[in-house]
Amino acid sequence: MDASTIGLIAFAAVLILLALRVPISFTLAAVAAVGTFCIFAFRTGTFMPERAIRATTSMVFSNSFDLIHSYDLSMIPLFIALGHIAYKADITTRIYHAARVWLSAVPGGVAMASVMGCGGFSAITGSSIACASTMGRICTPEMLRMGYDNRLATASVAAGGTLGSLIPPSVLFIIYGIFTETSINRLFVAGILPGLLTLAGFVLVIFIWVKRDPAAAPVDTAEISYADRFRAAALAWPAFVLFIVIIGGIYGGIFTATEAAAVCLSLAVLIGVLQRKLTLTSIWEAFRETCLQTASIFFIAAGAKIFVAFVALTGVAPAIVDVVTQAELSVFWLLLSIALIYLLLGMFLDPIGIMVLTLPLVVPLVETYGMDLIWFGVVIIKLLEIGLITPPVGLNVFVIANVVGKDAPIDRIFAGIARFLSVDVIVLILLMAFPAISLLLPNSMM
Amino acid sequence: QTTLIHGEAGPNRGARAAALQWFADTVGETSGGDLKVDVQWGGALFKANAAVQSIGDGVADLGTVIAVYYPQEMQSYGIADLPLDNPDAWVGMRATDELMRSSPVIAEDLAKKNLVYIGTFTTSAVHIGCTGDAIRSVEDIKDRKIRGTGAYGKVFGELGGNMVNMSIYKAYQGLDTGLLECSQGYSYAVTALKQQEVMDNYTLLNWGQVGGLGILMNKDVFDSLSEDQQQVLLDAGRGMADEFGRLITTANDAAIETMKEKGIEVFTLPEEERAKLVAAGTKHIDAWVEQMNASGMDGAALLEEYRGLIAKYTEERDSKGYPWTR
Amino acid sequence: MLKALETFLLNLAVAAVIALGLMITASVFSRAIFNVALPDTIVIVRELMVAAIVLPLAAATLSRSHVAVEFLANRLPPRAQAWLAVFGSIVGLFALMPLIYAGGREFAHNFTSGGFFYGDLELPKWPGRLIFLIGISLCWLRLLVLVVQDIRAIRAGDYSFADTHAEGLD
Ligand code: NA
Ligand code: NA
Repeated sequence: MDASTIGLIAFAAVLILLALRVPISFTLAAVAAVGTFCIFAFRTGTFMPERAIRATTSMVFSNSFDLIHSYDLSMIPLFIALGHIAYKADITTRIYHAARVWLSAVPGGVAMASVMGCGGFSAITGSSIACASTMGRICTPEMLRMGYDNRLATASVAAGGTLGSLIPPSVLFIIYGIFTETSINRLFVAGILPGLLTLAGFVLVIFIWVKRDPAAAPVDTAEISYADRFRAAALAWPAFVLFIVIIGGIYGGIFTATEAAAVCLSLAVLIGVLQRKLTLTSIWEAFRETCLQTASIFFIAAGAKIFVAFVALTGVAPAIVDVVTQAELSVFWLLLSIALIYLLLGMFLDPIGIMVLTLPLVVPLVETYGMDLIWFGVVIIKLLEIGLITPPVGLNVFVIANVVGKDAPIDRIFAGIARFLSVDVIVLILLMAFPAISLLLPNSMM
Repeated sequence: QTTLIHGEAGPNRGARAAALQWFADTVGETSGGDLKVDVQWGGALFKANAAVQSIGDGVADLGTVIAVYYPQEMQSYGIADLPLDNPDAWVGMRATDELMRSSPVIAEDLAKKNLVYIGTFTTSAVHIGCTGDAIRSVEDIKDRKIRGTGAYGKVFGELGGNMVNMSIYKAYQGLDTGLLECSQGYSYAVTALKQQEVMDNYTLLNWGQVGGLGILMNKDVFDSLSEDQQQVLLDAGRGMADEFGRLITTANDAAIETMKEKGIEVFTLPEEERAKLVAAGTKHIDAWVEQMNASGMDGAALLEEYRGLIAKYTEERDSKGYPWTR
Repeated sequence: MLKALETFLLNLAVAAVIALGLMITASVFSRAIFNVALPDTIVIVRELMVAAIVLPLAAATLSRSHVAVEFLANRLPPRAQAWLAVFGSIVGLFALMPLIYAGGREFAHNFTSGGFFYGDLELPKWPGRLIFLIGISLCWLRLLVLVVQDIRAIRAGDYSFADTHAEGLD
């Protein structure tokens, strides 16, 4: 049995195990381990179990350990802790109170504000997962408390989280830039309009959703005076301070995005303690919840990472790209095939994994067609972002599910996601059809 | 036909990728299609900091190893990272390659880790690019926010630099926002990462290189090959120094041109200032010798051999020119 | 006993997150105000990350907070659902075994060879590997206990554990 066949069987096995309610992390790690063992054991034609065990365990270990053993990703527990601390210190409740009194007349206004908050947070972090886990922690419980439909309260943030990689800074654009030797700054700037377009699309989805089903987002009909509104806004000052410190610190060259997470967390604790909202016990409790959530999120991410390494061994990705290359398609069909390949891989694999598996093959191919690599990068990142919210393996959805717990099972979140996905596909088509949306800013600015 | 998997943490772009591809192609050609090297780019199989175990355990048959991630396991290879007076990429690679290939002490040490040495790359000479004031003397390092690596970074810190921990890939953003004032690097990487867009000046230190960077192979797999196949791999590995030397020298020259076109001022550190840097590196060289001694390898002897090889290939370059210009 | 150990490790993880947050904050202040870089911040934060992520795994497993896709299984009768939950834990037991095996090997290797991180302090590599090994092993043990308990519960006709979703944390 050759490696690609093992790969295809593995994809089927993932689907089956997931349907049988096996936790995602266990599914990915177990299937990858068995698949890798088979590939190594039968590589030379003779069955060599000992060597295969050593290689498989080594691969499984190093890919999960290296993922966890990361300085940059320390941003994730820190931002999640920030969410918990902000909640316990009443910081988030006050923002939401302010959002509520200001947007009370707008149906679904708070969900729209949450998506915009995701857009704002995207300007801080380069990672969609960090964006989803932080905003999920901050926004979703508040929306649920206001009586929002749990599909809307979760899906809006899971989708909003995907802005993290489109709006700069962005880890995915950095990796793409390294693989294509294109200017990372131009890529960053190219992502701005598509990011805002996506954001506008998500707001539109919420608008239509609530228009059709007003019960999904309860509206406060009480008349609120402007004095009360400004008082509510003023009470939300700690959030504004934190936001200004983060943005000022990152763009003013005082700290990196990872450092911003730590500085802000320290600041939030300080504000909470000075306002007598936090006690040692409540701080410790916030960190315990942080740890439990972070552990589960990283465990899924580690499973995904191991699975990518396994897929690399199968050679499935080059096999698919080869077929496309051999077909000598026209530009239209080529783009369509690439989009399908990325959507397909996006169902199972994480964005960085897909990039390292496919970019070495796809980029030379599109270069021969003379396509603009900056524009192509935006299209690829958009495709990868979509993969974060498509079933069966949608990392952003899992992150939100993990954060909200029993209040919203995964199928409810995916059900909500479906509406956001339709807009994502429209945005994708626009980006592919009109390269100017991506290229306008970089071409006029630099 | 035997397919060998090569794990590489970097992208399939740039001079190093070209040299690795050359290695893969050469192995294919000289073996008459009997051997095929299949490169997995971008760390799909393992990251640079897991390369040694991964190759030894057979996750990949071959792989690119960066010695600085393994100050203990790859101690001997770390000789090529020392801040010696060793600025020429081709000379450095030739010397490193010959030492790694011919020293029985090193071969035995690698064999303990189930590894065989195949061939060497290098980053080429370490230089420094800055925003604002240029580094024109050792004094200028003081209080600047610098991103450095390896022993070179340590020396910058010891000379008063305010060291910022950051990967070379993030240096662009760092220089752009002002978090960094200077970034240690090498010329072709500067343009590959487009850092010329955010730098004001570039100082050629002509100091040493980060040269402990090359291809190692799983020993079980190597031993299972026929003698002819082994020879094909070893020859291609040896040829890499010339091929990569050619590529990187051209790429570095082109990078300097690009920088100048972009309006970046390119300086050369004056000879007496450079001597101060080399002198400041001495304690790190001594520390390496002691570590080697502690592991039961004669550090001083290897160092002397290495210096001799650098002198030998410097002489060859001066008398005959680079192989690709002959 | 196992529960107490889990709580202890969870508290250690909390200490690790707090420590890494303070450490990064301190390094920002040190650099911005005193123009001095703290030694080996990155290496220490990485090692603390291992503690932060891996040590709570057993506690997370106990609260059944590993995310799973449930809507297909939910259509099955309670008894079948209960068996699926057991099956999921068994897959988990299997998935963790290579990590424990290789984690042990890696720890032993780094401990005996004296592997260390390049840096100012030349910190050893083994502590992070040891923490990883402990965290994953305890998680494995917890899964095993769950499997045994769940099978007993099924035999006693109690399928309620299968409805335990991830704990809402507020
Ligand atoms: Na972003
Ligand atoms: Na997906």
